[in-house]
Amino acid sequence: MTEVMSGIAPYIYVSTRMRVRKAKLIPREEYLRMLNMGLPEFTRLIEELEYKREIDELSASFKGVDLIENAMSWNLAKEYQRVIALAPGEMKGFTRDYLHKWDIQNILSILRGKELGFSDGKIRAVLVPAGALDAPTLDRLIAESSSERIVEQLPIKQMSAILSEGLSEALETHSFGKIENELYKYYYATLIKAARGGMKGGLPFLKYVMFEIDIKNITSVFRMRAQGGDNAAQQNIWIPGGSFKPEELERLSSVESTDEVVDSLKKKIKVTVLLDALESLREKKPIYSIESTLIATQLNQMDKVSKRNPFSISPLLVYLERKKYEVSNLRAIARGKEAGLDAEILEKYLVM
Amino acid sequence: MALNVKPTRSELIALKKRIKLSERGYKLLKMKRDGLILEFFKVLAEAKDLKNQLAEKYERAQRMIAIAETVDGSIGVKSAAFSASENPVIDLKSKNIMGVVVPKIESQSVKKSLTNRGYGVLGTSAAIDEAADAFEELVECIILSAELETTMKRLLDEIESTKRRVNALEFKVIPELIEARNFIKMRLDEMEREELFRMKRTKGKSAAKAAKLSAAHAAE
Repeated sequence: MTEVMSGIAPYIYVSTRMRVRKAKLIPREEYLRMLNMGLPEFTRLIEELEYKREIDELSASFKGVDLIENAMSWNLAKEYQRVIALAPGEMKGFTRDYLHKWDIQNILSILRGKELGFSDGKIRAVLVPAGALDAPTLDRLIAESSSERIVEQLPIKQMSAILSEGLSEALETHSFGKIENELYKYYYATLIKAARGGMKGGLPFLKYVMFEIDIKNITSVFRMRAQGGDNAAQQNIWIPGGSFKPEELERLSSVESTDEVVDSLKKKIKVTVLLDALESLREKKPIYSIESTLIATQLNQMDKVSKRNPFSISPLLVYLERKKYEVSNLRAIARGKEAGLDAEILEKYLVM
Repeated sequence: MALNVKPTRSELIALKKRIKLSERGYKLLKMKRDGLILEFFKVLAEAKDLKNQLAEKYERAQRMIAIAETVDGSIGVKSAAFSASENPVIDLKSKNIMGVVVPKIESQSVKKSLTNRGYGVLGTSAAIDEAADAFEELVECIILSAELETTMKRLLDEIESTKRRVNALEFKVIPELIEARNFIKMRLDEMEREELFRMKRTKGKSAAKAAKLSAAHAAE
């Protein structure tokens, strides 16, 4: 069979398949029904969904809610790997780039775990091989004897270069926070470069990436404000490429009045959904509630971009994000029910 | 009670001195006990307040970690927890409350700023910040609570031993000394009376003898 690698055909094919997969995701009404279930009933329901195979596979290693969580993470990882395999040509590369955040999370978990002397098994339990680095590659990296060797053996060269640059400082200060921020900045820079690379739907997606950067930076502003400033240390947390300059964000993070912060942010934002979300932040609420509002806004915007560009990279990315939040929602319900949180509180943390 | 004391004047003087000293000691110890009890109640009020705070902070920390696990999952929370490599430093000093040495615990690096916690701001959620914040506050409260609880325990021990000393002085040592003093006094008085009687009797005998002699002389 000849695979069509160029023109609009691959986009139609992949977009259609992604739309079908997205339609199979759990709808809002089902989440609301789940919120009113007890934990045993919820667990039975999960086993009847597509997570059954992973639950069976991992039942020897994990128990209870840990089993549900790990099974869902494995399912997510496998699904992402299937999407990477499905995407043809340049879409594959872009999908890989988009999923790099999982690689960042995994590689940092390995480095931190190694540095703190955790066993290989314990490190393996916190990895989700949903990015370009698959499970055997991650296993190989875990088996390396030192952090320097792990960085050397990392197949993603740009990531390896960033890690090598900051590794000695991180090992000296016992903190990988700075490297982590640098890696995420690299991640967004890569996305911007890929979106500008001439791919179909790239330019609308570029706007979305910039929007996501704004959301991330705004969230960081509110997080820094909640922690009371800390100017000297926050030098490297602002992601370039969005609507705001690092100096502006730095200033806003030390402004006391929320109204002043919201007004300043609104001056530069043009997306209506975000303007509405920012307006709702005037009232005093917990920082994680602000973050949930911003994530919901981000997903809605992504959906809009995807509908406006039906045969582009957007439907694929929308599916990846929606799938991630399906896993996150199910995990939240399981963990919340285990911790005895009320359904109303839990509902606030679901992205529906 | 059989008293084993020599009923001598020097013993009486020594006993009087001991009674005076014991009574002075008794007064001082009573004052110390009362002072310690006052101090204990002050610390108790603080400790009660702190215990309530501790319960509240523990509850908040548990709620926040449940929320963090709800939002980020146990994998996300564990991954962020891998970043916490800098342990809090506890500096143990001591202070003196009415002669009782109690600990003074000072802590460093418990409450950390967002960027000093070791995890990256961009790869984690605010729920983790809130959970870390809640646990840092809880650890600070536990350290303060440890200081107050140990102070209370030491004060209680000291109050107990002072109370025992006061009671021993009040109901055992001083009454026994007074009894001994009274006994010696009584014995000395008795001896004095005996001496007086003996002297009077001797004098009487001598007088009778003299009278007899003078009567004999007069008859001659």
